[in-house]
Amino acid sequence: MEYWILFGTFVFLLLIGTPIAFCLGVSSFATIAYLGLPPVVVFQRLNSGVSIFALMAIPFFIFAGNLMVRGDIARRLVALAGAAVGHFRGGLGQVNILASVLFGGISGSAAADASAIGGLMVPQMKERGYDADYAVNITVVSSIIALMLPPSHNLIIYSIAGGGRISIADLFTAGIIPGLVLALSLMVAAWLVARKRGYPLEPFPGMRAVGTLLLSATPGLVLVAIIFGGVRSGVFTASESSCIAVVYAMFAIFFLYRTMDFEQFRLAVSDAVRTTAMVLMVIGCAAAFGWLLAFLRIPTQLVEFMRDLSDSPIVILLLINVLLLILGSFMDMSPLIVITTPIFLPVAMEFNVDPVQFGIILVLNLGIGLCTPPVGTVLFVGCAVGKMPVWDVVRTIWPFYIAGIFTLMLVTYIPALSLWLPSLFH
Amino acid sequence: MAVLARIALALSGIGLVLMTAFIAWQVFGRFVLNDTPTWTESVSVLIMGWFIFLGAAVGIREGYHLSFDVFLYLLPDRVKRVLHTVSDIVVVAFGAGMIGYGIQLAEATWSTTIPNVGWSGATAFLALICGGVLLVLFSLERLARRAAGLVTARFGEVELPDEDR
Amino acid sequence: ANAAETMLRSSDTHPDGYPTVEAVKYMGKLLEEKTDGRLGVEVFHSAQLGEEKDTIEQTQFGVIDFNRVSLGPFNNIIEETKIPSLPYIFRSIDHMHKVMDGLIGEDILKAFEAHDLVGLAFYDAGARSFYNSEKPIKSMDDLKGMKFRVMQSDVFVKMVDALGANATPMPYGEVYSSIQTGVIDGAENNWPSFESSGHFEVAPYYTLDQHLIVPEVLVMSKKSWDKLSAEDQAAVREAAKESVPHMRKLWADREAASEAKVKKAGVNIVTDIDKTPFIEAMKPVYEEFVTSDKLKDLVERIQATE
Ligand code: NA
Ligand code: NA
Repeated sequence: MEYWILFGTFVFLLLIGTPIAFCLGVSSFATIAYLGLPPVVVFQRLNSGVSIFALMAIPFFIFAGNLMVRGDIARRLVALAGAAVGHFRGGLGQVNILASVLFGGISGSAAADASAIGGLMVPQMKERGYDADYAVNITVVSSIIALMLPPSHNLIIYSIAGGGRISIADLFTAGIIPGLVLALSLMVAAWLVARKRGYPLEPFPGMRAVGTLLLSATPGLVLVAIIFGGVRSGVFTASESSCIAVVYAMFAIFFLYRTMDFEQFRLAVSDAVRTTAMVLMVIGCAAAFGWLLAFLRIPTQLVEFMRDLSDSPIVILLLINVLLLILGSFMDMSPLIVITTPIFLPVAMEFNVDPVQFGIILVLNLGIGLCTPPVGTVLFVGCAVGKMPVWDVVRTIWPFYIAGIFTLMLVTYIPALSLWLPSLFH
Repeated sequence: MAVLARIALALSGIGLVLMTAFIAWQVFGRFVLNDTPTWTESVSVLIMGWFIFLGAAVGIREGYHLSFDVFLYLLPDRVKRVLHTVSDIVVVAFGAGMIGYGIQLAEATWSTTIPNVGWSGATAFLALICGGVLLVLFSLERLARRAAGLVTARFGEVELPDEDR
Repeated sequence: ANAAETMLRSSDTHPDGYPTVEAVKYMGKLLEEKTDGRLGVEVFHSAQLGEEKDTIEQTQFGVIDFNRVSLGPFNNIIEETKIPSLPYIFRSIDHMHKVMDGLIGEDILKAFEAHDLVGLAFYDAGARSFYNSEKPIKSMDDLKGMKFRVMQSDVFVKMVDALGANATPMPYGEVYSSIQTGVIDGAENNWPSFESSGHFEVAPYYTLDQHLIVPEVLVMSKKSWDKLSAEDQAAVREAAKESVPHMRKLWADREAASEAKVKKAGVNIVTDIDKTPFIEAMKPVYEEFVTSDKLKDLVERIQATE
């Protein structure tokens, strides 16, 4: 009965449009009241769930991203990418993907990537004769790259959900190759679709123009170097690096570019607060929900169930992936990481999957879920910036889904893709 | 209510900037002064609680929470209004829980202290309680507006960073 | 495993198979035998129900029945627990056993009752010592200016500062890469954690100064306790006490295995240090934390224990 109350209340509230944070919180509240336990636990979990030092990276990275968009750093990165790959088939589509690679090296948020790069690229692409659905498709799916390349606060959430004992530095390093493989797969998909639809080529502007744009984008690129270099050289820890990203973005915007006034800064701050509160409230309520899952022994039962289902790691990993893709198409990423890590990580480890590799699988899988209906934050952002109805976008997005799932399968079944790079640092 | 929301957002924003300053100070202290400030971590975590709970409450008013409202499109307006009302009532109950149980938690931890800061452990729950108060107020406002036939902010609307408010 | 009619819930932050987790499981088995299968214990390991500070509150509220926790998180709640958590209060593990198995230990366990908890037994957690990536530490001079990660705890911070080093609070999960990259020079912990965290790979100098020998404690929720019959309460107490020797054996085995693994990896282990200056440096720490006559009396009684 308690299962029905927990999941029933959750699904009911979800369907009537209650914010997801409160779907999680209220269904936990109802279940614990039904069990006759003191409901105070729900609110203790909510409070503890957001009182974690490592979570601080989320407001910081979101804040830094907002500063970069408002302070013109993001646009310069797009311009650089445009000059570098615009002359390939489906050129601006490739630019869009490369811009995500660059932006992804600074931001850990797919939604920020989709709004920052989509807002700049989609209008440009439409203007030069690309179909709007193609522009939005690429914007949406390529923003998953931001989740894979360091920094990625979702990998930090995963490390915490996994008991805080999985090295964040290892996870960050492990995401690089899979992120680049994803970029490559998407570039191939973009090229194939562009060829079929006969999109135009951009002329190569010459090394000189690329050089000028490189210079103009340098402070943005330096940010990438500072974050990665600072963590690797021991100046600051991974969670502190997000704060340094904010400090540096402020420095670049106020002293190098001088592109921001106080009003813009105020807007960047309040937007960061809004987005952070939205995301972290879900995480806090998911902590209460997750506590109940553990208390009701659901993870243990699921582990036993899956263990009975098959002995083959290949089948088990496939099952986990399918389950995650289904869950991911209904729910947002961070609560799912918090909820599913304690359930699936022990199963995966039972089959000798390294926790670092599993983190990359999880984030890539749930990242794909961000781009799928019915609930897909990134998909919605993409549709909004492209001014396109969701259905029109989804109808033609499948080549990019295929590229994403293809990468997911590679990452799942080739451990070295994730584990080789971090092993060099040990 | 609009003033209250603006104050809550302003406080949250100041919190975010302060938090940036504190952690930057922590890095500077350890790396340059070779004397790590030990209070920065605890204080920053406390501040984070404030802007999450205040920000989440304002989100109820402005409608920037993540939600799933695809199903609602299939329903007639009258049913939709009833369901929205149910949803708001449920959030009021949760906000009330944040207040009531937040106070209970604060009482239970009143005599404990936060390591390296020295404040009472109860301070960790103040944000939860204040967030709960705002959550109840803003949800009641939604209920009142709907009853009066006025519009309320819709959840699930995608909000863009460069969209001015 | 769910053989008993009522399965009581116990929390532990350590992973499955860890000595504390296995000890509570063992206690559950004894309890099952003693109550003819009426009561059993299920251990929720790996911090499934939350970190120690949170699960202590949950135990007080009666949501979970048992909790195996370190004494550290109790320091800011129950005054008496500060004393066994003081640096260099115990001369050796044996000294700690003698104190905690005797009347002093009983007195400290009784202090839990005023906080909605029933103190049942003390478990071992070994001795914490310093390790670092730079050099073998043999004297206080060697410690000067080095950055050591500590837990978010007043005693730890004050102790490291009093030794002339730089206390750096940091989440456990970040320690490995922070030592590796040089954010900090080292940390401090017992043999099993030094080994299982992999920190010995990046910090190959371990100085056995044994600054903290803090026992762990097994507590029961007062609310759950009051629901039991007097007979079952006695069974719980007995089972908890009887699990202690078993736990100590598991701990010793685990410690030996970790020590062997670390030594095999070629870690430089310093044993020949004169602890007297370290102990003398702790005067301001004791002055700050041993505030009442009750606590001063406890310190004297511990020091007087042979
Ligand atoms: Na990233
Ligand atoms: Na989705």
